[in-house]
Amino acid sequence: MLKLFKKDLILFFKDQRSFTLTFLVPVILITVFAFAYGGIGDYPDSTESLELLVVDQDRSKLSKQFISDLDTIDIMSVIPSDLDSARALIIKGKYAGALIFRSGFQDSISAGNPLPVQLMYDEEQELETWHLQSIIINNLTSYSRKIEMQKYFDAYKNMFSESVSSVSVIPALPADKNEFRIERISIVGKKKDIKLGLIQAVAGTAILMLLFSMAGVGTSLLEEKENGTIKRLLYSPLSGRTILYSKMLVAFFIAILQLTVMFLFSWIFLGLDITINIQGLILMIISTAFAISSLGIFLASIAKSRQQAQNLSNLIILVMSAIGGSMIPLFYMPEIMSKVAVFSLNYWGIQGFYDIFWRLLPVSDTYPKMLVLIGSGIIMTLLSIRLINKNILKLI
Amino acid sequence: MIIVNSISKSYGNIVSLNDISFNIRKGEIFGLLGPNGAGKSTIVNILNTILKPDSGEIFIDGVNLKLNPDSCKMIMGIVPQEIALYENLSAYENLLFWGGLYNVPRSVLKKIAIEILGLIGLSSRKDDSIKTFSGGMKRRINIACSLLHKPRILVMDEPTIGVDPQNRNHIFKIIENLNSEGITIIYTTHYMDEAERLCDRIAIIDNGIIKAQGTLQELRNISRSREIVTIKLKFLSDQIVNYISNKMSFPVIDRVLNIIKVECEDVGSEISDILKHLHSAGAEIKSIDTQDADLESIFLKLTGKKLRD
Repeated sequence: MLKLFKKDLILFFKDQRSFTLTFLVPVILITVFAFAYGGIGDYPDSTESLELLVVDQDRSKLSKQFISDLDTIDIMSVIPSDLDSARALIIKGKYAGALIFRSGFQDSISAGNPLPVQLMYDEEQELETWHLQSIIINNLTSYSRKIEMQKYFDAYKNMFSESVSSVSVIPALPADKNEFRIERISIVGKKKDIKLGLIQAVAGTAILMLLFSMAGVGTSLLEEKENGTIKRLLYSPLSGRTILYSKMLVAFFIAILQLTVMFLFSWIFLGLDITINIQGLILMIISTAFAISSLGIFLASIAKSRQQAQNLSNLIILVMSAIGGSMIPLFYMPEIMSKVAVFSLNYWGIQGFYDIFWRLLPVSDTYPKMLVLIGSGIIMTLLSIRLINKNILKLI
Repeated sequence: MIIVNSISKSYGNIVSLNDISFNIRKGEIFGLLGPNGAGKSTIVNILNTILKPDSGEIFIDGVNLKLNPDSCKMIMGIVPQEIALYENLSAYENLLFWGGLYNVPRSVLKKIAIEILGLIGLSSRKDDSIKTFSGGMKRRINIACSLLHKPRILVMDEPTIGVDPQNRNHIFKIIENLNSEGITIIYTTHYMDEAERLCDRIAIIDNGIIKAQGTLQELRNISRSREIVTIKLKFLSDQIVNYISNKMSFPVIDRVLNIIKVECEDVGSEISDILKHLHSAGAEIKSIDTQDADLESIFLKLTGKKLRD
């Protein structure tokens, strides 16, 4: 029994695939999911710098001073803007929100009235804007009390003519968080009463499922090699290149079909209005289909067998979907994940569909995402042609 | 019809084919007989252009294969060793797909597909998916898929592997029918009986070299194989084999269970000596049979080993 045990252990550790699947894959997945769910890595409140657009319509001494104070906060970076530019930048997803000081800010703060301060934001980046809001309110509270204390000291000075130069310590007055309210205005996706969750679910799931089906199409190339039909195709007047291109074309076509069916289903049964931007939707479907079908073929081209291709595909799909926002929306993830997400096709696909359905951007604003998808597809296709000629079509 | 002239092929230091030459006449069945790894499939893969020879040239019906591979492909049908079919398609759909690759017009293709299904005895299973077929049926469809473009030459790479005797006979009849219609057939096999039954001429190949080629009679002459006396004994020991091997001038060429095979120049004059020696060795004879040298003994003579080795 001990000999059998020892033999099986040796065989197991000699089998690189088993070893990888047993140890490496779970480690990678655990790490990815831990990041995604926030178990590892910091949320923005500790080290990440928060960028905040600021629109100062009051242009008073106090509003300028408050903005200047905000900019001194280590994790805060204040970017002055006007209302229209700020709105456009938020809609394009460049910034999470903009703090607007309406006229009358100084007067209200002096009179102790509700402050005319608004936070214009993108619901997709809600987590970040709540964080921004809490920092702003904390500062407003401190700032307001500082001014109030200054008033008392000034009055005291006038009354007793004693020399008090300045207030350096904010007294620990009881905090009343309800004292300062910021009006929150969500400006993205509201035009047509669109639900962010629905877009996330449709785009995220559609891309995830597309990845699986394209991996299957790619794997069928290896299946054909294994059952001899590729060899038989090569006996015919068809060239190897024709066989390869037809396989790629099939994958591309099925991918377009699958995405189209998914969006049509979402339109008919889930109420996602795909008529908002038909041109953008078609172009995004084509770009996404091309990138992901190319990935399916590419995965097949680097694998030596069908089994290996399946294992590799599962790993890549799970990792890409986890970091790219298919499984968990990116706006629920720590900031670092947004940076990692750019390495995933899911990210570019989902963000492209966000541009169309959520941000309601014109098609031209979605071109960069489409170009990333098409560019990735072209690179993977070129690599696949080389590798498939070497690994699959060279049968003997 | 086919001229193969001084073909060689190596993979690194391993020589797969070494200066192979043979001619195949129009309308004949030409057998390539050899054990696994002898080089048969390499020849097939060079003929169907998947492999390029290191040297030598091949002419198919007067056309240089290297210069005009597509023209050659159009007149050849290849039956691969594997059952290379799409399991989820029906027999008819498979035929239409594989025939369609040779640019046969769809209407003509449909007609030919029906004819061929009749020829291979599977008309009634036309619309059934391949995955429901037995191994033998799949083999027949595998052959049929190579016939849709009406090839003048059919290259069959071990088409009966894993087939039961009944289906094997069916396949032999299909091959004989095709040949009677004028199709030239190249048939690779490592089964002696198949080569003996089907082939007009045979090339014996071993270690990438053609040891001999010709009709069965020509091979007998080349190998100087003579008549074979098959003697079945009640009991056969090493002692008996050693005794008769030492005493007899004619060699013992094979020994299986209680049967020994002895090669003779003239059975009539030598049989009494054989019986006398066996009697002296203490052997009891159950039966005696004589026959001309078969391919197995010819192969053994030419290569020094049994085909199944």
